[in-house]
Amino acid sequence: MSDIDAMIAQLESIRQQAQQDFAAAADSEVLTALKVKYLGKKGELTGVLKGVGGLSVEDRPRIGQVVNTIKAELEQVIEARAAELGAQADAARIHAERIDVSLPGRVMPRGALHPVQQGLDEMTAIFDRMGFMIAEGPEIETEFHNFDALNIPPEHPARAMHDTFFLRDTENGEPMLLRTHTSPVQIRAMQRFVGDGHEPPLAVVAPGRVYRCDSDVTHSPMFHQVEVFKVDRDVSMAHLKGVLQYFLSAYFEQEVPIRLRPHYFPFTEPSAEVDIGCVFCAGKGCRICKGSGWIEVLGSGMIHPNVLKSVNIDTSIYSGFAFGLGVERLVMLKHGIPDLRLFFENDVRFLRRMGA
Amino acid sequence: MKIPYSWLKDYVALTAAAEAVAGDLVRLGHEIEGVELPRAAVQGVRVGLIRSKGPHPDADKLSLLKVDIGEAEPLDIVCGASNMTEGDKVPVATIGTSLPNGLTIKKGKIRGETSCGMCCSETELGLAAESAGLLILPKDAPVGAEVGEFLALEEAVFDLSITPNRGDCMNVRGVARDLAADAGLSLAPHAGEPVAAESGVGKPVVGIDAIGDCPLYLGRRIEGVKVADAPAWIASRLIAAGQRPVNGIVDVLNYIMLDMGQPMHAFDADTLSGGVNIRSANDGESFKALDGREVKLADGDLVVTDEAGVIALAGIMGSEPSGVTDATTSIMLEAAFFRPARVSLTRRRLAMVSEASMRFERGIDPAMVAEAMQRATRMIVELFGGRPGEVVVCGDAFYGQAGRKLECSIGRIESRLGVAIPASVDEVLVRMGFGLTREGDALHVGIPSFRHDVTIPEDLSEEYARVIGFDAIPAILPPLVVSSPAKSERAVHSAVQAGFVQVVGYAFIAPAEQRRFIADATSDIALANPISEDMAVMRRSLWPGLLKIARHNLNRQQPGVALVEQGRIYNKVEGGHSETDTIAWLLTGEMQQDAWHGAAREADFFDLKGAVEGWLSARGLTGRFIAEAIPGLQRGQSAKILVGRSEVGQIGRVDAAIAEDFDIDRPVFVASIELAALPSGKRAKFVPLPEFPSVERDLVFLFDRDVVAEEIIQTVSKSGGRLLSDARIFDRYAGKGVPQGKVSLGIRFALQDGTRTLTQDDSDTASKAIVAAVEKRFAATLRA
Ligand SMILES: [Zn+2]
Repeated sequence: MSDIDAMIAQLESIRQQAQQDFAAAADSEVLTALKVKYLGKKGELTGVLKGVGGLSVEDRPRIGQVVNTIKAELEQVIEARAAELGAQADAARIHAERIDVSLPGRVMPRGALHPVQQGLDEMTAIFDRMGFMIAEGPEIETEFHNFDALNIPPEHPARAMHDTFFLRDTENGEPMLLRTHTSPVQIRAMQRFVGDGHEPPLAVVAPGRVYRCDSDVTHSPMFHQVEVFKVDRDVSMAHLKGVLQYFLSAYFEQEVPIRLRPHYFPFTEPSAEVDIGCVFCAGKGCRICKGSGWIEVLGSGMIHPNVLKSVNIDTSIYSGFAFGLGVERLVMLKHGIPDLRLFFENDVRFLRRMGA
Repeated sequence: MKIPYSWLKDYVALTAAAEAVAGDLVRLGHEIEGVELPRAAVQGVRVGLIRSKGPHPDADKLSLLKVDIGEAEPLDIVCGASNMTEGDKVPVATIGTSLPNGLTIKKGKIRGETSCGMCCSETELGLAAESAGLLILPKDAPVGAEVGEFLALEEAVFDLSITPNRGDCMNVRGVARDLAADAGLSLAPHAGEPVAAESGVGKPVVGIDAIGDCPLYLGRRIEGVKVADAPAWIASRLIAAGQRPVNGIVDVLNYIMLDMGQPMHAFDADTLSGGVNIRSANDGESFKALDGREVKLADGDLVVTDEAGVIALAGIMGSEPSGVTDATTSIMLEAAFFRPARVSLTRRRLAMVSEASMRFERGIDPAMVAEAMQRATRMIVELFGGRPGEVVVCGDAFYGQAGRKLECSIGRIESRLGVAIPASVDEVLVRMGFGLTREGDALHVGIPSFRHDVTIPEDLSEEYARVIGFDAIPAILPPLVVSSPAKSERAVHSAVQAGFVQVVGYAFIAPAEQRRFIADATSDIALANPISEDMAVMRRSLWPGLLKIARHNLNRQQPGVALVEQGRIYNKVEGGHSETDTIAWLLTGEMQQDAWHGAAREADFFDLKGAVEGWLSARGLTGRFIAEAIPGLQRGQSAKILVGRSEVGQIGRVDAAIAEDFDIDRPVFVASIELAALPSGKRAKFVPLPEFPSVERDLVFLFDRDVVAEEIIQTVSKSGGRLLSDARIFDRYAGKGVPQGKVSLGIRFALQDGTRTLTQDDSDTASKAIVAAVEKRFAATLRA
């Protein structure tokens, strides 16, 4: 056997052995080691080439060719095997990392806005869109702002209907009370407006807490109202109706029919109570609307001239409308909340549900 | 006010169903509380004749009755009453009847004996609030007839809520007037002629000192009356109207008041001494009212007096000794006009209400005073005999009768209502009693004597609105008024986003709760008339309310609560009071429940501090927390919160003893921030993102246990050089391997340069400087 034949035979046996070893490699590390072992700079294939010096000049390129061919072939085999091993390893890892997706997720702390707050936010946002300015006023009020300026003099029968909380101490000799409605903000807002030298138009929405000395299933000693009023030239009942219609439909997120009934409030003339078509039975009559198909939601009217006069607004030029609505009542209607007391019990289960 | 439909029909020829009339009343501005149907409510209750009465074998208090209701066989009825005997006629509720009290009659056995119906009392028929025994019907009641028909029970009764301005509708005729005007029907006049005085009957001597409060007073004696019960038709109408019959004289006067709106009073003339005077009470004077109350009078109260003293609190209530009884034979009738404001102030001060005062304080029709006197006289003489004397008129006989005049502009009314007013609707107002003349845009109005509520043109606009109907007014959106955009306070919203549940507590709390956090009561604002002692002072801290809400929830199996409230606190201040918008947090119990991925963790100070820091940072603010003793909070776990130089709030753990007062036995953390004290945060400003990476380095020192972390960070920041971009405590350890009284703190700092990548040298230099500064300042030793 010539030298070259012996070398070729040796190369062939390395090739076969390498292929077996590669196929048997259990993981990519073994495979890498085998690659070094056979194909590395000091690997077996290279080792065979060391004997090239003993070959004839014409045989040398032949051996080189054979080695390159084997090398290329083995590299392909390694690559294929590496891909195979990689896929196996991926599959194994993925299998090992499988989870039960039905286990509950980690709870991120979730808060909730109080339903009254949501109501206040929604209501003031609607009036904000209509160009009304947001105003607030004190909760501890004078009799003047809560009653007299609103055309409710001391002997007025309506004064007795407001179950008023009085403070034990006077301020500057004046008796003080917890406001029974948000209407005093009308007076304060107009006083400041006129005092600053402005002339109407003036459009205000005034949300806030109010107090009545009354506590039972349907009355809370503290609740929330939103007062809305507008003073301008030629303001009419038709504008009042327009604003009410827009507001109530926007708040209830559906077209609700409204009905005005003549009523009496000392601070408006004419006065009207406002009903909406029952949102529970669409006006057909149910337990909640006592079969009438209508639900009373707020009181309204054209601002009484005595009220405007009390803040020095010229009633021969200007007129205005005003209404005050009970926030809890509207929220109860919108969300089907059956009991006023739920708002002030502050049970977080209720609050979380309503805050969703 | 309750008005039987039949009574309205005395004045106006209405034919519509009661429901339709109720709808008209609502449209006219009279709120309807309900429409009662008394006759329908006792349908199935029939006149029964007791054929026999025997004892129940098993029960002493029960009787066995055989009752004939006009059918083939008498009914067996077990009855618990004792006031009936054989031959009596009684109401019998037959099987299947539903009574006004909600009871439905079924055939059944009572103590073993069969009962096929129920004999009824007035209460069970809804005729009276209380009654003793069965209602025994008159002998002439036809056996088997419907009791409702026999008793002429009303078919329908309107329960009206008359608004305070409409005193003229506090009577049947006033309501009938509105209905008649609306329907275009005529209103019947009061029937009857004046009764002439008889000779030889005494004439009361009347004087008025307080003419301003009592412009008109009529008195008349009737002698020789025989007081008896009022006839059934009066009694049944009074009952249907919600009143209880008293005696014939009083009942007639009540009937007249309900019918025509004039409250009247009758004195037993024999109890009076000398003449009658209407004057202001003297301070300290007192009298015994008809309801048995001893009433202390004050200067200014209007009283009717005789020579011996007060015989009536004018327009509110008569005295007990001067009242009419069954033994009375001579009476003095009073019909007067008392000034509304006077009656209102007195009765409110004394917390007294009467049917009379309700009418006087709303204003009665002065034109009706004399007519009521005539009508009362006629009815009393017809029913109870007696000889009437002359009517004495004191004051202005024509007081208020002329009516007032008003000048209006049709155009102004139309622009106020937003709708045109056709001249045709004037007729309706005329039927309501107004005198109307149009002259171009001018409207001359004569206001009837009974409409005290109409004084200015705007009042007339309301009358037109009622008549035209609000439905006829179009709905128009007014032109937009542009106002400065609102900057709304979203304080509570960002706290809610961080996981807190917003609550709304009462603004008043118990003084004892207030004392838990604020020892000094001098700035407390107390209510004069609290609902209860638990709600007696205005809160000066939101914490007591939050603690109560926390307790409520912990008692309902909540493992932990995170609450936030935004609201005002109230303090007395020099010359007045303050109302301060405040936000407060409460955190207690488990932060999260045991779960498959981790165990529950009890909330601590730093959970709440983190929440407050996050809340401040959402407003562009950074707070400093400085240890401080705060009343009600546990020493060593409380701090004041500073933003810039000003103190804006407090935070800490509630004293265990106080928490226990609120029935909470686990650590509770609270914080509060006064919103107005906060500076407005910086608006976020753009800064270019760094181009070169930062390098981080950790240093671990052994410190004294009481070291203040904030001071360490300050020292690191000062000594770290200009490249220092961040420094924080990343590890804290005290325990095995750390000597007693010491704590190991790990500090991580970062360096960054905007112009180059940093080298090992940079961090070595900074590190050396920091170690030197920290060791020097805190006598700390570097561990790693
Ligand atoms: Zn309904």
